[in-house]
Amino acid sequence: MTMDATNSTETILEVSDLQTHFFTPAGVVKSVDGVSLTLKRGEILGLVGESGSGKSITGFSILGLVDPPGRNVGGSILFRGEELLGASEERLRSLRGNRIAMIFQDPMMTLNPVLSIKTHMIETVLAHESVSRSEALARSIDALRMVGISQPEKRIESYPHEFSGGMRQRVAIAIALLHKPDLIIADEPTTALDVTIQSQILSEMQKLCRELGLGLIWISHDLGVVAGLADRIAVMYAGRIVEQGTVDEVLDTPRHPYTAGLIGSAPAANSRGSRLTQIRGAAPHPLNRPEGCAFRTRCDYATDICRQEPPETRGSNTQSWRCFHPLATSNLETLP
Amino acid sequence: MTDIFTEVRNVSKRFSAKPDFAEKLAIKLGAASTPPVVHALDGVDLQVRRGEVVGLVGESGCGKSTLGRIIAGMLPPTEGEVYVEGAERSQLRGQAARHARLNTQIIFQDPMSSLNPRKRVVDIVGEAPVAHGLIRRGEKQAYVENLLQTVGLDPSMADRYPHQFSGGQRQRIGIARALAVKPEFLICDESIAALDISIQAQVINLFMDLRRQLDLTYLFISHDLSVVNHIADRVVIMYLGRIVEEGSADQIFDGPNHPYTAALLSEVPRIDRRHRTFQTIKGEIPSPMNPPPGCHFHPRCPFAFDRCRAERPALRTLADGRRSACHLNDLDQRPNFSVTEQARENSL
Repeated sequence: MTMDATNSTETILEVSDLQTHFFTPAGVVKSVDGVSLTLKRGEILGLVGESGSGKSITGFSILGLVDPPGRNVGGSILFRGEELLGASEERLRSLRGNRIAMIFQDPMMTLNPVLSIKTHMIETVLAHESVSRSEALARSIDALRMVGISQPEKRIESYPHEFSGGMRQRVAIAIALLHKPDLIIADEPTTALDVTIQSQILSEMQKLCRELGLGLIWISHDLGVVAGLADRIAVMYAGRIVEQGTVDEVLDTPRHPYTAGLIGSAPAANSRGSRLTQIRGAAPHPLNRPEGCAFRTRCDYATDICRQEPPETRGSNTQSWRCFHPLATSNLETLP
Repeated sequence: MTDIFTEVRNVSKRFSAKPDFAEKLAIKLGAASTPPVVHALDGVDLQVRRGEVVGLVGESGCGKSTLGRIIAGMLPPTEGEVYVEGAERSQLRGQAARHARLNTQIIFQDPMSSLNPRKRVVDIVGEAPVAHGLIRRGEKQAYVENLLQTVGLDPSMADRYPHQFSGGQRQRIGIARALAVKPEFLICDESIAALDISIQAQVINLFMDLRRQLDLTYLFISHDLSVVNHIADRVVIMYLGRIVEEGSADQIFDGPNHPYTAALLSEVPRIDRRHRTFQTIKGEIPSPMNPPPGCHFHPRCPFAFDRCRAERPALRTLADGRRSACHLNDLDQRPNFSVTEQARENSL
């Protein structure tokens, strides 16, 4: 399963028109409503959105981890050419933690407090491969070393509570790396960490992605982190990807008004004292989203046509957006 | 002294668990060591002038919230004095003490846990001004509706409960409650950290509007340097219970003096920093239960020398008016790190 150079541009993930809905007593919540994205080997995709936009559920859906009342109701997820939607639970289990790994925001929730790190890691190795315990241990220690934990032979005996938040997140990343997966889905893994620690984790992830040639989906609400880390950005709003493209395209020439609003909302180095361009209102309740473009109730450019579903428009080879009134690239000087 | 609104002098705060009977006995018999002490604040001096916005920045455990609570009068300092408008807080009695308490209000991070879920907004916001005799009970509804308008909420929502609002709206309720007793000084303790970006921008704009309308003074506590850079006049950087650097926003962001400030600034994620190769400062933040000797930052500092390991650097005023606590300032030849990535970008 090692990467060879000719394979480096292989598309490892192709999600098309993914729909994950939650059937609650109060109504159907369309958490993911037609999401399409692709990921190549060695590529980092930043999946950006605010709370409730469906970015985490997209990640869970790829792993087949959506619990009732949630259900995938449509679309397709091709992982290295293999359809994951409708795949047997057995097949999914053999992929999860092996070829596809996930890292969560709070490592304290994903690590079992009564098991040592050693137990966690050896069990993860043995779950997918039949190797001896001593070999599993050696691989675990290597993985810990790879994520920058010093004295891994000693630290592996510790329990989760003996680590700081940043160290726990490193352990979670080390566990994700045990089987050298093709794809890692990271759901806000540095949100709870301090700036200097976040920076350390980002640096490790970036290095690992390059060295191991794995694909990474980095789910985050923080455009600043994604700008520094990712190759491409997909912006989600109310269950849909409203814009995607390379980092430079999306951040320098946003075409969807929501993307532009998000960029304007983040304080920049030269914005001191000035009013931030804010998006008015708040995200709509998931049970009560406006039909057509879900952003139209907060959008300054909205007209009657926005009551219809905006189609996906392609600009360059890589940038696309869903909007009837995309911002002109020439008007962008007025944007911060 | 009217220029200085509030001042803390040499304030320290230590927290320790009170040993129960069995532990006391064990300590007496020498079977257990004394309970650990958390050094949350260690000799902090800070002045907030009337009308300014002071940004207090640091990572978790650096004591920034403790300092905010001590200034607000919610916690007594273990050592040192807190002055409010020239008078020492602990000496104030009666009317003066009450005025000092009301005049400083604090807004917390999580609006859901700081609002009583069983009360209507009109009671949450209106309770304090009625209790303190600022308004009569009959005036409450109109008073609250007026305040809701000030913070950008629909006045007709006064009779709703907190759960009926979104996160951003709840934070606005928290702000309205703070403003209800007509304070001059607001302490915002990570007040926007839990909000979505688009909502953050709305609340930052609201803080700036209120400052203009009501002549407010702010202590803005945050871990987010880009937010502080945006709204603060003066910036205070804390590390492990001590102030390491303090200066005007320009001084701090354009040319940090302390290596920790420089490290923090170079690691702030920003939209205009693309495809970065992350360089990192090594190591973890030490535990405040067992801070390193000398300069607290020395185990992670790339420039540390012997003196840093032994002697605590004093927070001294430098030639340009800022204060910094670093032994490097005594060297003939300072290592050159003040030209950070950000300063370079800004000068372009």
